[in-house]
Amino acid sequence: MTSASADPADAFLSLRGLRKTYGSAVAIDNVSLDIRRGEFMTFLGPSGSGKSSTLYVVAGFQDPTEGSVMLERRSLLGVAPNKRNIGMVFQRYTLFPHLSVADNIAFPLRVRKVPDATLRTKVAAMLKLVHLEGYGHRMPGELSGGQQQRVAIARALAYDPPLLLMDEPLSALDKKLRDELQSELRRIHQETGVTILYVTHDQEEALRLSDRIAVFNAGRIEQVGTGAELYERPATRFVAGFIGNSNFLPVHVAAVNGGVAELTLPNGQRLASSRLHCAARPGDDAALMVRPDRLRLDDPMQPGGDDNVGVDVQVRDLSYLGDSVQYAVSTPWQQELCVRQPLAHADAMRWRIGDHARLCWQPSRAQLYANA
Amino acid sequence: MLLDFDRMGRPLRATLVGIATLTSLFLLAPIVFIVALSFGSSQWLIFPPPGWTLQWYRDLFADPGWLEATWASVRIGLLVMVLSVVLGFLTALALVRGSFPGRAALKALFLTPMVMPVVVLAVALYAMFLKLGLTGTLFGFVVGHLVIALPFSIITIGNALEGFDFSLEDAARICGASEWTVKWRVTLPSLRLGLGAAAVFSFLVSWDEVVVSIFMATPGVETLPVRIWAALRQDLSPVIAAASALLIGFTLLMMLLAAALKKRNR
Repeated sequence: MTSASADPADAFLSLRGLRKTYGSAVAIDNVSLDIRRGEFMTFLGPSGSGKSSTLYVVAGFQDPTEGSVMLERRSLLGVAPNKRNIGMVFQRYTLFPHLSVADNIAFPLRVRKVPDATLRTKVAAMLKLVHLEGYGHRMPGELSGGQQQRVAIARALAYDPPLLLMDEPLSALDKKLRDELQSELRRIHQETGVTILYVTHDQEEALRLSDRIAVFNAGRIEQVGTGAELYERPATRFVAGFIGNSNFLPVHVAAVNGGVAELTLPNGQRLASSRLHCAARPGDDAALMVRPDRLRLDDPMQPGGDDNVGVDVQVRDLSYLGDSVQYAVSTPWQQELCVRQPLAHADAMRWRIGDHARLCWQPSRAQLYANA
Repeated sequence: MLLDFDRMGRPLRATLVGIATLTSLFLLAPIVFIVALSFGSSQWLIFPPPGWTLQWYRDLFADPGWLEATWASVRIGLLVMVLSVVLGFLTALALVRGSFPGRAALKALFLTPMVMPVVVLAVALYAMFLKLGLTGTLFGFVVGHLVIALPFSIITIGNALEGFDFSLEDAARICGASEWTVKWRVTLPSLRLGLGAAAVFSFLVSWDEVVVSIFMATPGVETLPVRIWAALRQDLSPVIAAASALLIGFTLLMMLLAAALKKRNR
């Protein structure tokens, strides 16, 4: 699907044709994915998109209806969760309330009958890793949410699992703590080199943390790639809408010529030479996606030119966002579009509500999607 | 809050404190009364006691009948406690976690002994146990008390289970714990407050149960409350006061134990 998918031969964790159904409801629909050793892979998608279900299949809490899960070329299916040697951090803190912080971290080691001396060294090292030295004797109830989740991470990594699963681990925290723990997570990932499978519905979090992101929708993976790939070249309209802000212009495909299409806007205006990113035939209705920060407001009636297409618009609203100004403009066919002008640009603050302007973009920065 | 103690004004506050004091006195007076009488020197239970003595306690401990009744009460109470907690835990687990047809009906059924008049229950058990030859046996007492104690266990442990986050079990599993280890080292310790409360409740229910016990008792086997009741009908002796004081003392001890456990766990 994308250039970034790993070679199956060096896949560390390999999901093949995963499917999970409950009666007639399909939770996971043919998911295949290869994850490299040491990679930070995020499953991103709205709730009910199958991202958590897929994670729970890897953890062993759910069995897939079809498909395989291979970790280091060994099948995990049929292996009980407690025999998989995988670490996991949950959405809620899930610390054992009757055990101290140190005993919580020691729990997986005690279960593995690790000798006492080794156990103490390991617990101390884990407390150091999550920056909670001196907190070993505390009870979970005495810690803040962020601290509890650090302990959960320490517990999940105490037995050096090759794979760490994280199910929306920061969603219960407030914004500031979330930002703090995100950078902690990046550091821990770099220090330990553990392979992480991370589930979130927060695209900003996914972009900030991940090496690669798998975008889930309705039980399927829509696209796998780095944050930049997903933002610059979204494979589907869903990905375009889910990652970053986007404007979708309703267009009609007038002609297709090689990889280039000629489009008609609702007001009859022709747009020449828009690059095609999907199979479109002349006569189809489609959607042209342009990011708000790829749009530019210019003087009305400027000639377009080959590398610039434009539409006459009127400014409806503007908001000052510190580093940029966001304009709401309406098209001749009464569609409201979002434009973001960086303040570094000299003309950024020039427009007032009611002004007429020309909305321009480079055709190569727009993407065409077939209507679903 | 509408009824805020600090803001309700002096007269209202004074009235409230007055009512509370009177109620407490009303509840505590019999206890103080009986304990005082047990140490009183009067043969005829005169209050206030003309002098003080330990005579009645000596009589109590010298009488094998009283000792046997106390021992029977303790044994029955402990057996009821263990059975009530074990069965109550399993039942509550099924009622809280299970999804099967008739779950709500089953729950209601398990709680009926709480609303059913105890006399009715006692007569029914008596009729059945007479037929089976189980009256006057330890087993008969234990089953009778268990029927009354079990709803308390189911409710208390059920509440604890409702508050228990079952993803803790998943967390323990992925840490490498087997199903047994998960239950022993995570689930049960997390529920320890509920289990402890159920144990204390169950013991106390059995410890001061009279109605079913009177039906079950034979001259051979009787519990402390039955013996007190019987002795009261034969002759009014201060030994009864001593036995009652003992009963109260032990109950108090159990409640203090429960409170101490709760405090330590917090």
